[in-house]
Amino acid sequence: MTEFGLRLAISLTQIAAVMGIVVITVLILTLAERKVLGWMQDRMGPMEVGPYGILQPFADAIKLFFKEDIIPAGANKFLFTVAPILCLIPAFIGFAVIPWGPNQTFEINGITVRPFVISDINIGILYILAFASLGAYGIILGGWASNSKYSLLGGLRSAAQIISYELNIGLSIVGVLILSGSLSLVKITDAQAGGFWNWYLFALPAPQIFAFVVYVISSVAETNRVPFDLPEAESELVAGFFTEYSGLRFAFFFLAEYANMVLVSCVAAALFLGGWNAPYPGTIMTLIGLPSLAWVENIMWFAVKTYSFLFLFFWLRATLPRLRYDQLMRFGWKVMLPIALGNIVVTSLAVFFYQQMK
Amino acid sequence: MASMATTKRSNLYEWFKTITFYEILVGMKATLSHLLHYRPVTVQYPHEKRTLPDNYRGMLALLRYDDGTEKCVGCDLCEAACPSRVIRVVSAEVPGEPTKRYSKEYYMDMTRCLFCGMCVDACPVDALGMTREFEWAVYDKRQLHLNKQQLLAIGDRSFPVREKRLELQHPNVAFFNVAFKHVPPKPD
Repeated sequence: MTEFGLRLAISLTQIAAVMGIVVITVLILTLAERKVLGWMQDRMGPMEVGPYGILQPFADAIKLFFKEDIIPAGANKFLFTVAPILCLIPAFIGFAVIPWGPNQTFEINGITVRPFVISDINIGILYILAFASLGAYGIILGGWASNSKYSLLGGLRSAAQIISYELNIGLSIVGVLILSGSLSLVKITDAQAGGFWNWYLFALPAPQIFAFVVYVISSVAETNRVPFDLPEAESELVAGFFTEYSGLRFAFFFLAEYANMVLVSCVAAALFLGGWNAPYPGTIMTLIGLPSLAWVENIMWFAVKTYSFLFLFFWLRATLPRLRYDQLMRFGWKVMLPIALGNIVVTSLAVFFYQQMK
Repeated sequence: MASMATTKRSNLYEWFKTITFYEILVGMKATLSHLLHYRPVTVQYPHEKRTLPDNYRGMLALLRYDDGTEKCVGCDLCEAACPSRVIRVVSAEVPGEPTKRYSKEYYMDMTRCLFCGMCVDACPVDALGMTREFEWAVYDKRQLHLNKQQLLAIGDRSFPVREKRLELQHPNVAFFNVAFKHVPPKPD
């Protein structure tokens, strides 16, 4: 019983730490996005709250907490309430299988603890994809339950978009899975150790560059970001599926969107960019004689990769206009899908002949 | 044949540009260069303000002479000139001086004013002025219904340097300002 209690305590601590890190990242992202967007458009971004506006996320959070919570007349109250939660939980739950740092263990009272991953399940990436698809329910139900035409249109668009691009994400990942022979993110990351030429983006026998491009584009579409932000296109649909939401429920949707961004960035880093592995073999910490602190460097590399991916999101948003709906669909089905499928074929053949030659 | 080859090559070139996202990369380069050479055009308004030009047409004000007397002679020309009927003047005789008139009441409904400056142009004695004040947002619209005292106060704070009172300063309307007792005789 004490062992069970200890395990529970350790797991809960890990979950709380990961949740905390994700929420803090989201807070940083809301500010960073507005700042970066402003800088790219010769503006300053938020400047009023705190020095250079660095306390803006807290001001926003406080505002959202105290706003009136409106449920529109004719809305389906139950679904209207449940939708933001349905959107938020899948966004957060995916972080359970992301390896943040090296695959090392330590023992407390005979219990083996892996500090940098909450749970290494052997179908990790499948689990993330499954829950990411569930997130679409929150958006669709939120759009339907609001009893508003804008929300409904946003929800419908989102349904079509997420289904099309979810497929491309799944197919673009398959190449990596063929190369690594595993669905566990920990194993996939471990297999990419020892320099950037071992990352699956560049790795022989089949560099996954096309798959990476497909993944990046599809993940932007999947998280409903510009230029694929049709579900919430503010110039067409007011705010899309969360037009009628206010206060804390709106904050949930907002949090879910940003958590999804962080999640797809983490997955991209883990699958294509070597996860927590440094772009050179080994670590500098080991070289200077501090091997026990190597995890700091590894986590730093993971953060760098994730944040540069997130920066790409902002950069795209500052640059590109929104696609038309038919363009979005055509691009997803006629361009991305064949590339992803072709990549699977090429990767399979390459891996097969590579193993024949060995 | 040659033209076909060139179109083929240019088609190939276009295709290559498409698959490498060339146009998108050009755009991304533009935004990144703005990020790296960060020169914001923002004026942090309440903290820093633009310097306004001298001929800025802001809030209207009634002016005084350097001895503190009002310039306005109650001629109603501003009221006649105003295109949106902002101004209402109630003119009256100066008590004890039958030849002189002044504005007993003077109202401006600034909710309607379009800051065209025609009243200022119309005024024969330069009793109206346009200040550089523009921060006149109020919670109650009625606060923009200004009376004579308020307009004079605006003038006092915006035009600290007052015009000297000169009798006969304006030949056409010298009639309005003249206090005949003190008039020095005109040189011949």
